[in-house]
Amino acid sequence: MIRIVFFFLLLCYYSVANAQKSTDSIQKLDEVVLSDVKLKHYNEGYKLTVLSDSILRKNGNSLTDVLRFNSNIYFKENGYGMVSSASFRGTNASQTAVIWNGININSQLNGQVDFNTISTANYNSISIRSGGGSVQYGSGAIGGSVHLSNDSDFTKHINHRLQLGYGSYETENASYNLSFGNNKWSGSAGVSYVNTENDYRIIGTDEKNENGAFNNLDLNLNLGYILSQKDVLKVYHQNFRSDRAFSSTLLAPSNSKYETEDYRSMLEWAHVSENFTSSLKAVHLLEQFKYFENKDLNNYSKGQAKTWLIKHSYKRNVSKNMALSVITDYSYITAEGNSYIDPKRNAFSATAILNHQFSTKFKYNLNVRKDVISDFKSPLVFAGDLSYKVAEAYVLKFNASKNFRVPTFNDLYWNPGGNLDLEPEESFQFDLGHQLEILKSLQLKLNTFYIETSDLIQWRPNTETNYWNPVNIANAKHYGLEVELGYTKQINAHHFNLVTAYSYTETEDVEKNQPLYYVPLHKGNTALSYNFKSFTAYYQHLFTGEVDVIGGSLDGYDVGNIGCSYELNTAGKLNYILDLKINNIYNTYYENVALRPMPNRNFNIKLTLKF
Amino acid sequence: MISKKITLLFLAVALLFTSCNSDDDNTPEASGDYVDGLLISHEGNFGQGNASVSFVSYDFATVENNIFEAVNSSPLGDTAQSITFDGDFAYIVMNVSNSIQVVNRYTFESIATIDSGLNNPRYMAISNGKGYVTNWADFSVTDDDFVAVIDLSLNLVTDAISSSYLPEEIIALGDKIYVATGIYGYGNLVDVINSDTDELEESIVVGNSPNSLQLDSNSNLWVLSSENLIEIDTDTNDIAQTISLGDGFSFPSNLIYDNSSFYFYDSGSVYKMDESANVLPTTAEFSNVNFYDMNVSNGILYGVDAGDFTSNGELKVYDLNSNTETQSITLNIIPGGVYFN
Repeated sequence: MIRIVFFFLLLCYYSVANAQKSTDSIQKLDEVVLSDVKLKHYNEGYKLTVLSDSILRKNGNSLTDVLRFNSNIYFKENGYGMVSSASFRGTNASQTAVIWNGININSQLNGQVDFNTISTANYNSISIRSGGGSVQYGSGAIGGSVHLSNDSDFTKHINHRLQLGYGSYETENASYNLSFGNNKWSGSAGVSYVNTENDYRIIGTDEKNENGAFNNLDLNLNLGYILSQKDVLKVYHQNFRSDRAFSSTLLAPSNSKYETEDYRSMLEWAHVSENFTSSLKAVHLLEQFKYFENKDLNNYSKGQAKTWLIKHSYKRNVSKNMALSVITDYSYITAEGNSYIDPKRNAFSATAILNHQFSTKFKYNLNVRKDVISDFKSPLVFAGDLSYKVAEAYVLKFNASKNFRVPTFNDLYWNPGGNLDLEPEESFQFDLGHQLEILKSLQLKLNTFYIETSDLIQWRPNTETNYWNPVNIANAKHYGLEVELGYTKQINAHHFNLVTAYSYTETEDVEKNQPLYYVPLHKGNTALSYNFKSFTAYYQHLFTGEVDVIGGSLDGYDVGNIGCSYELNTAGKLNYILDLKINNIYNTYYENVALRPMPNRNFNIKLTLKF
Repeated sequence: MISKKITLLFLAVALLFTSCNSDDDNTPEASGDYVDGLLISHEGNFGQGNASVSFVSYDFATVENNIFEAVNSSPLGDTAQSITFDGDFAYIVMNVSNSIQVVNRYTFESIATIDSGLNNPRYMAISNGKGYVTNWADFSVTDDDFVAVIDLSLNLVTDAISSSYLPEEIIALGDKIYVATGIYGYGNLVDVINSDTDELEESIVVGNSPNSLQLDSNSNLWVLSSENLIEIDTDTNDIAQTISLGDGFSFPSNLIYDNSSFYFYDSGSVYKMDESANVLPTTAEFSNVNFYDMNVSNGILYGVDAGDFTSNGELKVYDLNSNTETQSITLNIIPGGVYFN
């Protein structure tokens, strides 16, 4: 704590002393522009897939939809728009970390992220980092992590984007984004709203998706201010509100609904000097839910968790090719609700990262982290990764890590049943990657991975107490292969782009000697787009193989989407883009959670104004 | 499948033939694939729609899972809570599906699905030719609980009788119906309904969360709760005796009456008590079992073990003379009820 105060004072001194100098050079530094610097600098040995703005705009505003069609991650969605959890490399719902501008935002209550409560409308980019990341990103980064970034743009500009959409099942979309910058300031603000009846016809029956209506609102505000040539101040804020009925299954009617709210705020002070950079972040996170068993009554159960976090990152250049980073953070977390008796947690962590560029061909990072958490013992975790440029077009990557997933507030404090004797889940894993890039137009990534997880927390019936209790009981193994291929081709004014990914994932529940539930052995997706002047057309395809479920299996399926857009008035200041999209063009019947059919063929039309 | 259909056809024709020729025989032999054995209902996972019923013949030579789906080519539904029998009919109460599957108990052919007028249904009893089904409605709402009345000739819910909070097991004696209400630490009443008037007549205070109702040889009602075991004189509906649990028991459940003895389960052990006893037994008949439900007939105990609730459960058969396990049979996901067919 003393150290943090010391740095804070130091930063104040520097900012005052250097305020008069030119700010041009600082605007270009990563520490100033990026919200998650680690993602760029300490991941040489990891596969990183960045989904750019243009990809994000093709799949509506739901993170589930975007990742389903553009990554290897499998989603278990309880009917379209309902609670959605990820399985990344076959890991479970609480083993994928979601990182908002460098901060882990997995729920403190259940350890998971509902990917339908994250709107993609207000982020510059979304990155998928495959492999263990607990050292840098904390609990739950076992299969991998998904990073939401609001980067700062200090170049002089003011841009507006307004989108209005309408589609099947009375789906209304509206979003507005503003981005501005001058030499001192940068800012972005966004609002995104969706409202839908979501009563799609269930293919092969006369039934409709019952009780599936929902609406979501996402608000986002980010500001950056350059204090001096060495100091920048940034503020991030995000608020998501969701009001969803919980849809029926094929065999069980439902009349319930679920309201959630998330507030995320962060203040960051970054300082950049010749030899070191420092960043101090103060963060407040609030998540809350209300569950209505009967949506017609004002009768609900609720839960809430608040996190206060202070995080300091310090990076020192030891030599021209070597840097050492020390990251410390302290968090205080409280929860309240019908099923907890005011639990609290104090957590402190310290991380050291050595970044060494041994030669132009060979780079590596060594990471170590220790957490001290008030309610249980946390393991020392570590990671190492390297990249080696074998040839101009060929890079070899490798990473190995030990990771953890902390017991959640539900696991520890749920009343009745919570178990205070739980220990964190642990994993040990490695990943070998090959990257080929031929003539800038063809990119190939091939990764093989192995993950061993132990002490997995599962809720089991307890004959002594008659309650269900979480226990550290299961162990699992995951191994597999991923291929990612990107190809671009230009013939005169015709641009073609192909991105395709395939994953093969074997899993084993060691105790039961059987594959894990809800992990497809094969999953593949392809996106092909074509652009000619103002016209763009694209096709997306998703193949998901059969998955095992309790006492049975779900069939595999192929789903295709097709869309086109036309940009009007390209010359002037005001641009209009008209989009038409047909989802599920083959009208495929499919479920990714048992008995919860997904939508039939549906349409969406969208008008975008840019000025 | 074809051979089974032919068998069924043959049996049906045989039954027709038999019944035509024996008008005076008013108790024809039950016929179908599922006679002389146990029916075991499986809850399946809540919300996952994998409920099922298994058949196990008394000689254990035949074990068939998923019999409803096999016969009717459609899924049973979500969370099979209990089965009640009346004549040739079996009524399978589907808790999360809010329905009752009516089948022929011996062939398991579907006869009807009762799917309106029920809300969170649990257990069913038959009295005066009518069906009475306990319903929680919204768990969190204390005054919407009811007993649905079913016209068994139409298979329709015709009435709803308000009940105390969280009605569970229900048992009929003549025109009186006793309903245990309360679970998870809530509730301590046994409601008495008159099936002539279909009205709630009184509520008898018993122990907290009454979980089992049994009638003894004198037609007295025994109520096991997480506080005590109570005997109710069914002529007066007064409490005849209260046997407290003492320190040795945590959550006794599954009270069964067989051959002048009571059996019940608590924390991995099965206990036996004579119906004339006025204290609970201090030693278990046998231990180290994990029964989600059990039933007893003619000195044989049939217990079902749901395991970790995601793997296949097991039927464990115990000879109560020697208290030894004689059979262990793999069933389906979450077996929760054992019935004699």
